[in-house]
Amino acid sequence: MEYYELLFRVIILPILALGFGVLFGLTFKGIDRKLAAHMQARVGPPIRQPFRDVAKLFTKENIIPENSIPWLFSVMPILCLVSAVSVLLYTPIGSFEPILSGYGDLIVVLYLLALPAICLVIGGFASGSPYATVGAQREMVMMLSYEFPLAVAIISIVWKLSLVYPGENVFSLGFIMSHPVWNTVGFSGFIGCVIILFVLCATMPITLAKIPFDIPEAETEIAGGLLVEYSGKNLGLFYLADAVKTVAFASVVAALFFPYGIACYFDVSTTGGYVIDFIFFLVKLFVVIFIGLTFIRVAVARIKIDQVAHIYWMLMTIIGLVGLALIIIDSTGVIS
Amino acid sequence: MTMAFEVFKQLFKKPFTNKFPVKYIPKSVTAAVEKIGKGELKINPPIEIPPNFRGKISYDREKCIGCGICTKVCPAHAIELIPTGKDEKGKEKYKAIFYISRCTFCSQCVDACPKECISMSNEFLLADTDRFSDALVVK
Amino acid sequence: MKYTLPIGPIHPALKEPILFEFELNGERIANVDVKLGHVHRGIEWAGMRRNPVQILYLAERICGICSVSHPFAFSMAVENAAGIEVPERAEYIRVIMAELERIHSHILWAGVAAHEIGFDTVLYLTWRVREKVMDVIEYLTGNRVNKAIYMIGGVRRDITKEQIPKVREAMDYYKGLFNKLAKVFLHDKTIKMRTEHVGILTREDALKTCAVGPTTRASGVPKDVRQDYAYSAYADLNIKAVTPDIYRKEVVGDVYDRIIVRLFEVKQSIQIIEECIENMPGGEIVSEPKIPKLLATLKKAVGEGIGRHEAPRGEVFHYVKLDGKEAPYTWKARAPTYNNVLAWIPMLKGEQIADIPIVAASTDPCISCTNRVSVIKGSNKYTLTKEELHKLSVEKTKRRMRNGIL
Repeated sequence: MEYYELLFRVIILPILALGFGVLFGLTFKGIDRKLAAHMQARVGPPIRQPFRDVAKLFTKENIIPENSIPWLFSVMPILCLVSAVSVLLYTPIGSFEPILSGYGDLIVVLYLLALPAICLVIGGFASGSPYATVGAQREMVMMLSYEFPLAVAIISIVWKLSLVYPGENVFSLGFIMSHPVWNTVGFSGFIGCVIILFVLCATMPITLAKIPFDIPEAETEIAGGLLVEYSGKNLGLFYLADAVKTVAFASVVAALFFPYGIACYFDVSTTGGYVIDFIFFLVKLFVVIFIGLTFIRVAVARIKIDQVAHIYWMLMTIIGLVGLALIIIDSTGVIS
Repeated sequence: MTMAFEVFKQLFKKPFTNKFPVKYIPKSVTAAVEKIGKGELKINPPIEIPPNFRGKISYDREKCIGCGICTKVCPAHAIELIPTGKDEKGKEKYKAIFYISRCTFCSQCVDACPKECISMSNEFLLADTDRFSDALVVK
Repeated sequence: MKYTLPIGPIHPALKEPILFEFELNGERIANVDVKLGHVHRGIEWAGMRRNPVQILYLAERICGICSVSHPFAFSMAVENAAGIEVPERAEYIRVIMAELERIHSHILWAGVAAHEIGFDTVLYLTWRVREKVMDVIEYLTGNRVNKAIYMIGGVRRDITKEQIPKVREAMDYYKGLFNKLAKVFLHDKTIKMRTEHVGILTREDALKTCAVGPTTRASGVPKDVRQDYAYSAYADLNIKAVTPDIYRKEVVGDVYDRIIVRLFEVKQSIQIIEECIENMPGGEIVSEPKIPKLLATLKKAVGEGIGRHEAPRGEVFHYVKLDGKEAPYTWKARAPTYNNVLAWIPMLKGEQIADIPIVAASTDPCISCTNRVSVIKGSNKYTLTKEELHKLSVEKTKRRMRNGIL
C-alpha cells in the first residue's frame, strides 16, 4: 500500500466517519426528540437542539470529582466516542464499501458495539459515586443479558450465508451487503429471518440504553446513574458517543437486513447513484431508529433490572433460537 | 403496550401545547420583544380566561374613604394606608396603596371593601424584574 | 456486600426535600430510615399573628394541591370553636369544590407515578386531561390552583344556574375518559410489571402505622372521614370508602392497589359532584356576608374547635383555639402525609432500588405540608426519644403555667 493511501485510510476516512456519525447522529437525535414530543402531544425542541446541547456542554466547566480516579474518569468518554466511531469504519454507508473492509468483520463489530458500554461502566465505577456504582452494576447486568441474543441473531444470518456461499468471507459486512440474506431463504427461513430481525430490533433500545432499558441512567431512580458525576466536555463526549452509536447500530441492522440500494432504478451517473443510495441509506436509518427507538421509548414504562435479565436471558434467547431453528430447517430442507 | 396505538395516532395530531407567546425561544429575547412592540412579530395569544377571573387589582382612588378594612383582611399584608393630608374637620385622610408583588390574588379586599372601590382586572402577565415598578404598585 | 445509599434531600425522584437512608444488599433494600425536617416553613407561627380570615388564605398555601382541603378543615375548626352555622347551600358548594380537587389531585398523582417509572407519555396524557378539571375550577372560582372560595361560615362564590352545564360537561368528559385511563393504568403490561406486588403494605401494617387516605384503603382498611364521620354535605350522600376489592379479587396492598383505589375514587367523585348539583338546595351561601361583622364575631369568640376533612391524600386535621383576641391562640394543622411517613418503612423493606421512586410516590407524599419541625445544622442531636419528648413537653407546660399563660 502506498503511503498516501495509508494516510487516507488511517486519517482522512476515520475523520470523515466521525463527521458523518456526529452530524447524522445528532440530527437523528433531534428528529427522535421531535417525533417523541409529537407522540406525547408536545411541541418538542427544534431539530437542531442536540447540536446546541453539545455546543453548550463543551463550553461548560469540566468537573472531576474528588474521590474519583481522575485519569480513568477523563479517558473513558474519549474511548467511548472512539469505539462508537470505529463501528462506523466497518459498516457500509450508502453504497460505499466499509472503510476498513478486509481488516475486520462482523465479530469485531459485535465487540466494538459492546465497548462503549464497557467504557460507561468503567467511567461509572471511576467516578466514585454510589449512584454511578449502582448504574455501572446495572449496565454490566444488561450487557450480560443482551449479548447472547444479539450474538444469536448475527450468527444465524452469517451461518445461513456461509451455507449458500461456501468459501467466501461471509463475516464481512461488505459481503453481507452485496448478498442480501432474504434472497437465500425459503418460506420458513423467511419467517426465521423476520424473527431474527425482531430480536435485533429488540436489542437496539437495550444496547443504546433507552427507555424501557434506560435502567443504568434512570434519572428518577439513581439520578442519572453512570453519568451522575460527569459534566461539561466529558458529558458532551458521552452524548456524542451515544448519538454515533445510535447511527452505527442502526446501520449494522440496515446492512444485515435491508442491504438494498435504489440507485439501479434511476437513470443516473455513478456519482448520482452514490448520492441517491446515500439518501436512501439515511431513510433506512430513520426507519430503523424510529421503530427501534423512538416508538418504543414513548410507548412503554421503564422496567427493572431483574426483569430485563429475565426477558433477555429467557424470552429473547428462546425467540432468537427459534428463528435460528427455522433458518436451519429451511436450509436443511426438513420442511420445504 | 396499551399506549402504542394511542401515541401513533397522536403523531398525526396537533400538539396540545398552547404556543404562547412563540413556538420556540427566540435567539434574542430582547430583540423579539422589541419586534413585538413594533408589531413586526405576532405572538400566539394565551388561553382565554374565564369571567370573574382574579387578576391584577384595580383601584378607584376617588371612591376610597380610607377605612382600612382591606388592610385588616389582606393575608399577605400587601396593602398599606398612606395619609394624604387633613380634611376640613382636621381629621387625617388615608388612601390605600397596593403592592402587587406581595398580592396573593385572593380578592378578599374586594369582598371586604364597603365602597366597592377595589376590583380585580383580567390582567395576569405581571412578571417584572423590579418589585416596585410602576406596573406592580397600584395607587 | 452491604452499603448505604442516601436518597435525598435533593433527588430527581423526590419533588420535595426528604432524606431516605437506605441500607442496601445489592439491589435489595435491607433497611430504611426516613428523615424529615428540611422544609419547615413556620406557617402555624405566621397564622397565630393573623386573624382567621387571613389564615384561610395561609391555610390554602400549606399545600399546593390540597388548596381546598386545608381551608375546608380550618374553616370547620373555626366554625366549631365560634359556633357558626353554615348555610346548607354553602355545604354543597364546599363538597363540590373538595371533590373537584380530588379529581385533579388523583389525576396529577397518576401522572407523577407514571413519570417515576419512566413512562413520560402517560404523564403528558394525564396532565393533559387534567386541564379540563382545572378549567372548571378556574371557571367556578376565578383561579386554577388557589381557589380562595372558602369563607368562615360558608363560601365566597355561588355556583349559578348558567355555570352548571359547563360542570356537567366536564363530568361527562371524565366519565368517557375513565375507561381509557383504566385501560392504560390497569392493563398496560409495563405498568403492571412495575406496580404489581411492589411496595406491599399489609392490612396489619396499615393499621399499626396509622396510615390514612388511599394508602390505607388500598390495604383493605375502609377508613374514610367522609364515611366514618360524615360532615358537611357528605352526611346527605351515601359514601362508601373505596377499597381495591371492587376491581381485584383480593386485596394485596401493593402499588397497583393504590392505583385502583385512586382511579375508582375519581369515578366516585364524579358521582358525588353530579349528585350535589342535582340536590343543591337554594338559599344563602354564607352566614355573615359582612366581613367587619364576621371579624368582630370571631374576635369575641372563645373556645376550641377541630375540623377534619378527607383530602385526596387522606385525613386533614385542623385544631384552633380562640381566646377572645384577633388572632387565634393556637392553630395546628396536620397534613395526611404525616401519618403515611411511617408506612413507607414496611413498604420499602425488601424491595429493589428501582422501586424506591414509585413506592415513595405511591402514598402521594407532600413533604412541605408535613414538616412541623426543622433540623438545625450544628446541633449534634437528630433523634429524640419518646421520653425526651415527654420531658420537653412537661417542661414547656410548667414554664407556661409559671408565666400564667395557661
